[in-house]
Amino acid sequence: MRIAIDRLAVAYDDRRVIDGLSLTIDPGTIFTLLGPSGCGKTTLLRAIAGFVPVAAGRILFGETDVARLPAHRRNIGMVFQDYALFPDKTVFENVAYGLRARRTDDAAVRRRVGEALDRVGLGAFADRLPAALSGGQRQRVALVRALVIQPDVLLMDEPLSNLDSKLRHQVRETISELQREAGITTVFVTHDQDEALAMSDRIGVMNAGRLEQVGAPAEIYRTPHTAYVADFIGAANILSADLAAPAAAGATVRLAIGGRHVGAVCPQPLPAGPVRIVVRPEDIAMAPADGATDEMLSARVVRRHYLGAKTGYAVTLTDGTRITIDVSGPDHDRFATGDSVAVRIDPSRALAIAP
Amino acid sequence: MRLDLRSIWVWLSFAMLALLGVFLVYPVANIFLASLGGPGRGEGWAIVFGDPRYLRAIANTLLLGTAVTLAAMGVGVPLAYLTARYDYPGKAIVSILPLVTLVTPEVIVAQTWLMMLGNNGLIRRWLLEHGVVLPSFYGWFGLTTSMTFIYYTYAYIGTLAAIRGFDVQLEEAARSLGSSPVRARLRVLVPVVLPAILASALLIFTLVVGNFALSMILGGRVELLSVKTYQAAVSETTSNPVLQSTLASVSISIVMIVLFAQRWIVSRGRFEIVQGRVARPSRLRGVMALGFAAAASLVVVVSLLPLAAVVAGAFTVSRGPVMRWGQWTTANIDRVLSRSPEPLYNTMTYAGAATAIAIVLSALIGYLIVRRRNAVTPLIDYITALPLALSGTALGIGLIHAFNTGWITLTGTAAIIVLAYVIRRLPFGLRNASSTLYNIPRSLEEASISLGVPPGRTFLKVILPLMAPALAAAAVLTWTTTVAELSTSIIVYSGGRETIPIQIFKLIEGGLMAQASAYGLVLVAVILAPIVVATRIFRIDLFASRA
Repeated sequence: MRIAIDRLAVAYDDRRVIDGLSLTIDPGTIFTLLGPSGCGKTTLLRAIAGFVPVAAGRILFGETDVARLPAHRRNIGMVFQDYALFPDKTVFENVAYGLRARRTDDAAVRRRVGEALDRVGLGAFADRLPAALSGGQRQRVALVRALVIQPDVLLMDEPLSNLDSKLRHQVRETISELQREAGITTVFVTHDQDEALAMSDRIGVMNAGRLEQVGAPAEIYRTPHTAYVADFIGAANILSADLAAPAAAGATVRLAIGGRHVGAVCPQPLPAGPVRIVVRPEDIAMAPADGATDEMLSARVVRRHYLGAKTGYAVTLTDGTRITIDVSGPDHDRFATGDSVAVRIDPSRALAIAP
Repeated sequence: MRLDLRSIWVWLSFAMLALLGVFLVYPVANIFLASLGGPGRGEGWAIVFGDPRYLRAIANTLLLGTAVTLAAMGVGVPLAYLTARYDYPGKAIVSILPLVTLVTPEVIVAQTWLMMLGNNGLIRRWLLEHGVVLPSFYGWFGLTTSMTFIYYTYAYIGTLAAIRGFDVQLEEAARSLGSSPVRARLRVLVPVVLPAILASALLIFTLVVGNFALSMILGGRVELLSVKTYQAAVSETTSNPVLQSTLASVSISIVMIVLFAQRWIVSRGRFEIVQGRVARPSRLRGVMALGFAAAASLVVVVSLLPLAAVVAGAFTVSRGPVMRWGQWTTANIDRVLSRSPEPLYNTMTYAGAATAIAIVLSALIGYLIVRRRNAVTPLIDYITALPLALSGTALGIGLIHAFNTGWITLTGTAAIIVLAYVIRRLPFGLRNASSTLYNIPRSLEEASISLGVPPGRTFLKVILPLMAPALAAAAVLTWTTTVAELSTSIIVYSGGRETIPIQIFKLIEGGLMAQASAYGLVLVAVILAPIVVATRIFRIDLFASRA
């Protein structure tokens, strides 16, 4: 089912925390709302669920505007950060809860709950209380409880944040599999960029109640439209530079930085003047100072982190700007702190954006 | 905050507000209004402040409050400190003290002191035989002694909770910075636990001001506000509603001022203790240990004495007021159970009804205040705290005057007793209900709603079952305190509606201690039965939400 949000506004005590937000989520896809805490992503999710009142605008599930429908009539499945399993009910009764609310007959309840629990490998745990389950098991119960009612949309509020990193990967897989099997439109809230990149069909990066950028994971990572998005997704060096002449979208430009010129791509049209360059640490090459060419900037290594598969370096340019560089491949740890080096920013990977 | 008139919770809030308005705000407002009424405006206040007897009663009440508070803190605070920080022989028994005071009605405590140290008391007579003459127990001596040994438990419980909540690492930090152990304790522990200690001191003060049973029975010639108020309320000849209301207003005003001071202290002193490590009690040995153990056991013995005395008294042969100690009989119990069991029936009926009503109201109001806040709920929150400022006597006067005539006439009915019980216990039931609600994650409710169950049914299917243990604990505590309630019921009851505490009070006034003891024993059984059932069979922690 398609979710379409149209000029949505949400207010707490007359203060609008979301104002005029529009968004379309394609049927059967996972859409991730990504952002730091307080950016409004959970508020948006709860507005879709019906737990916070909508001040203005529409929320369409398919053709139906649900914005003014109470939460229990929206036919949603919701998975909570703290699992929200009913502690006094068995695993079976937790999963059966929504079916019973829909007056499903007993035989069908037993069959569907049994199948659902088997699907996530918890068939043997049906009679246990939630307290007797591990964190990962609880989250799987919460997931099938939300899915067994065959909701129109699945809403997930940071469902992995209470799990340790190994379990997080397992449950992430389970979520992706079940979501694809059910073909259910899913909205996923997280502040974890890796999770967002790995799981989503599309990502919306939120900032101060607005969607800063919406796009596929690779698009968000490769071509952030703003410094905020670049900084939030992955590590990024954000440098100041000057653009001599206005540039059209998609143009490759040359920028003055630290007395030298470097190349960069403009994803959007830019006026002349101060701009910012966004470049990922892995898109900067480093060479010994004696091999410097015109395209390269001189720098000095100030810190070095050996990470096994790669080495992360912090270097300062001659004007004092500090950048981080990831070097991989053979001998990636060959530079030492204090070494004079030359760095080269890959012009096809560097982005010029508005300051 | 918004008022969404389509929400059933908003309508429920209005309904609760109306209910509280009629049955709680109106009687209380009525006291203050009536105190200003009368033929000459302000006549009541003129009488009270013009008559040295009333002024003396107010002064005596404040003096008694101060004396008992200091003495009770002197017993309770060291006991709590020792129990929190040290192991000493017999420590386990100290931990039952809160339960002992809970199950011992004040009227029985008063009776015990009389049987032991009264004019004809057991200990007094024994000492007399050995040539020791004790001063009369009626008056200041009896009042301070008896109240100290009831109210020290509040100091004990409050201080113990504060010391246990204290992060001992702070003390270690102070020592690592160069403070000596004693200095570290004084400089670090004391400021952190002091607000809790002061808060319990002020609580004790308000309880002394409102105390009825001990003041009445042991007061002797000492004029006290609660006694004067009660006498004004029940005296047939000088039945002056203006005077009664004025005296009640004075008592309410004193308690309100103290409670505001308490709230101020608590709100100022709320230090954030991040994840604490509780101090490990160190073991005491030798003379110190024996000394502590002796002091602690003295407190325990005095606290347990009323229960022992009531059992002994109930089975002791008596002729009129004379107790034949050492001669045993079951006649007293027989008489209470077979010939005049009405007080027992009355007590159980009224307390049962009041418990049921108080728990339903606590669950509903607690849910509204904690989970369904709207423009009305803060008002409900304030109103439900009002009974804390009402002494039993003041509430009784308010109820009598408010429901004597008019649309709702309750005077002379059983309903007014039940109403009095409900009002007195509501703040405590509500405290249990809301503290458990704060511990039930909001997401559970949302999970249920997201699965298609409407909010009202979600409350019944998800929230209520999770509140059940706390509500059961609240029900037990409501029951144990209402069956022992005396100060309000003795004003609002009418002939034939005596409860056990009222009956005991009357028998004590008539000097019939053996019969009073028999009723006392029945009362203790009525109090203990649900506690035993709750803690042993259902394994409910009665004090879970008190700390």
